[in-house]
Amino acid sequence: MQKIVEVKNIEKIYGKAGEKQYKALSDVNFEVEPGEFVGIMGASGSGKTTLLNILSTLDTPTSGQVHIGGQDITKLNTNEMADFRANKIGFIFQDFNLLENLTAYENIALPLALQNTNAKKIDPAVNSIAEKLGLTDILNHYPTELSGGQKQRVAAARALVHDPSIIFGDEPTGALDSKSARALLDTMSKINHEDNVSILLVTHDPFSASYCDRIIFIKDGEIGQELKKADHSRGEFYQEILDSLGTFAE
Amino acid sequence: MLNKLALSGIKHRLRDYSVLFSGLIIASAIFYMFMSLATNSAFLKSNSPAQATSFIYGFGVVLLAIITIVYISYANGFLLSMRQKEYGMFMMLGAKSSKISKMIFVETFTIGAIATVLGSVIGIIATGFVSRLVIDALDMQVKHFNSFYLPALLSTFAFFIVIFIISALKNSISIRRTKVLTLLHKDSQPARIKKNPILKAFQVILGIIFLAIGYATMILMGSNAALIYLGVPVALFTIVIGTYFMINAVITAVISALKKNKKFSQKGLNNFTLSQLSFRISDYTKILSMVAMMFALALGAITVGLGFQNQISTVVEGQNYYDVTVNNINDAQQKRIDKLDTKKVTTYSYKASKGTIYYQASEFKKTPFKYQKFNMKSMISKTTSTTDPSNADVSFELLNANLPRYRTSRVAVVDDAKFNSIDSKKSSLTLVRTKSFNKNLAAIKKINQAEQKRYPELKDAGLSKYDSYVMVNGIFSGLEFMGLFLGIAFLAMLASCLMFKILSGASSDVKRYNMLYKIGTRAKVLRSTINKEIAVLFAVPAGLGIVHVLIGLQMFSKILYKPYMNIEIPFGIFIVLYLGYYFITRYLYKKIVLK
Repeated sequence: MQKIVEVKNIEKIYGKAGEKQYKALSDVNFEVEPGEFVGIMGASGSGKTTLLNILSTLDTPTSGQVHIGGQDITKLNTNEMADFRANKIGFIFQDFNLLENLTAYENIALPLALQNTNAKKIDPAVNSIAEKLGLTDILNHYPTELSGGQKQRVAAARALVHDPSIIFGDEPTGALDSKSARALLDTMSKINHEDNVSILLVTHDPFSASYCDRIIFIKDGEIGQELKKADHSRGEFYQEILDSLGTFAE
Repeated sequence: MLNKLALSGIKHRLRDYSVLFSGLIIASAIFYMFMSLATNSAFLKSNSPAQATSFIYGFGVVLLAIITIVYISYANGFLLSMRQKEYGMFMMLGAKSSKISKMIFVETFTIGAIATVLGSVIGIIATGFVSRLVIDALDMQVKHFNSFYLPALLSTFAFFIVIFIISALKNSISIRRTKVLTLLHKDSQPARIKKNPILKAFQVILGIIFLAIGYATMILMGSNAALIYLGVPVALFTIVIGTYFMINAVITAVISALKKNKKFSQKGLNNFTLSQLSFRISDYTKILSMVAMMFALALGAITVGLGFQNQISTVVEGQNYYDVTVNNINDAQQKRIDKLDTKKVTTYSYKASKGTIYYQASEFKKTPFKYQKFNMKSMISKTTSTTDPSNADVSFELLNANLPRYRTSRVAVVDDAKFNSIDSKKSSLTLVRTKSFNKNLAAIKKINQAEQKRYPELKDAGLSKYDSYVMVNGIFSGLEFMGLFLGIAFLAMLASCLMFKILSGASSDVKRYNMLYKIGTRAKVLRSTINKEIAVLFAVPAGLGIVHVLIGLQMFSKILYKPYMNIEIPFGIFIVLYLGYYFITRYLYKKIVLK
């Protein structure tokens, strides 16, 4: 079966040749299977945001290849990258990134409108995802009228509405209280299991990570160990993550 | 240390500062340019026959002062919005708020002072340049006008120093009152627009009623000049209110209607653009109304100013049919006439004897004499052609074309035999009609001068077309010059105001556009949504302003012969300049937003 994400020998170097250079990523390799919920963990400055930026075509690697859904995204031009993000990727950011001058409905509909989807098809698509995420009652509200948890669920709905190949989450629970965070992670888990949506989550929070099937640790720009949940319960997996973090940090 | 930090902050944002700085320079330059006219009473007196001129200028100064204050407060808001976060950081690091507010005061005032000095220098240069350009282009007669005028310079300094002290105080107080946290997380969150359909409908109706009253007043003033003193304030008041309601209610209604049309709104970024606009418009109603009014005043001033230019040729054309008259033509004058782009050259022979001038009937039969017959009722002259100049009206015209010494003579038209029998020297009168008086002006001037040299009596009593052109041009040029100057000054101010209002909102848009970029919007689409949004913000006041002017010109229907003649020229000039501002604004906005 085709992999959703295939990362081969990625290297990212900041700074021009001859000047002071900084290697943010070095020989990074990993894969994500369809329907997999993968977490990437690492401390600040470990290179996880750089990696996510490259995976989501917001940045390009210095060398190496990235295939998403079978397509080599490092060979795309700027417009193709934009189209790729619009069609194949769903984003959930730490600070929601909703447009506060659009209602929840309009925010969710935005990716479809960007693809010039027929107006008649937009309505059912938005309503169905809103129902799934429990947003039906707040669709006409503006983001300023919503709680953090609601905002993040709107953001999740926006990430899902156009059936992307994969969802990228960048610390999606970072700005939420523990209850909202748990609710969001439950939702993501549900989408992952029921709809078989692949999710790649970047986080430094062990609790969030414990929802994943597999954790890839990254340190100083290099991939370290990998943890698999397998048959463990979430509680056990959480403990395992904490233990690994202890040893990985040393 | 803090000063050093503040300085490095400015260096860091040099591009944004250069926008602000050039804006302030333009403001003071324009203010100086205008003051150089308004404070120069010798110029005003010598260039306008009308008492109303100083009234118009007083009015102009007040308007310009108001718009300058508004402009500087926007520019100031822009300055503060750029620096707020930084100030917050200094305060978080432990800087005392008194120290920060002192720093802001010094910064605002220094920027203002430098801009004013530079602006005045540019103003002096620009005044010289613009006035030369305008005067040459329109062959104006402008007296007592100097680009450097001390009272203007002093009043510009005084005005700007006061404004900058006030805005520096305002900035430092507002920073002192704001909490550090608010400064650090300065994300302006637009409030939800209040949608009250009944209130909006009421505003639409009210807007239409006010505009109707204003327009009716202007039209009435056109037919009865006595109404002006009451009419101008009434029209100004009603149109200002009407404009405000129209922008507030009608535009938002159109936007919501467009938003409801899913086919349109759910396409690409249309919905985003509409939402940006509807939030903007409610925030912008005041400035857009002001810009619409200023637009109308500025365009009106330029149109009326250039209307006087049309007036010159209409009046001149209405007085004389023939562009050139030459007595007893010689070789030199013939050569000069040959250089003209002539339509028809007519020569009549005559003999003067005992208080009577004799013409040959055969010559008039061959080439009829043409003159401008003035209709007292319609105030319009009509070109009339006749073969019998002995008629009182015609003989008057014919005598006027001739040498002054014959003006009291009697005109007799006789047959060839009688003409030849008269014992007097045969003279000739050559009348030239060119294809265009204005295009041949330089050559006509030479012929006129040569003719005056040949017959010195023409110098004092000249009634040639060129002489009347010089006279009429002298009367109207001053008015025209003022109209153009006033119009261009207002335009520059109003467009800069709009530009700064839009740019000061740009920093809060950075995040939105960044997010749209992240979720896969092509850069081209982002640019086009910015273009559309700014285009609407520029077009709304322009559209209303144009309607105001078109109706407002009715006020001049008695003063100007044809107020709507050649209207495309001032409108064209104005719109090109205004478009220039639009392009600059969208360029700068994109520089800020799409990093």
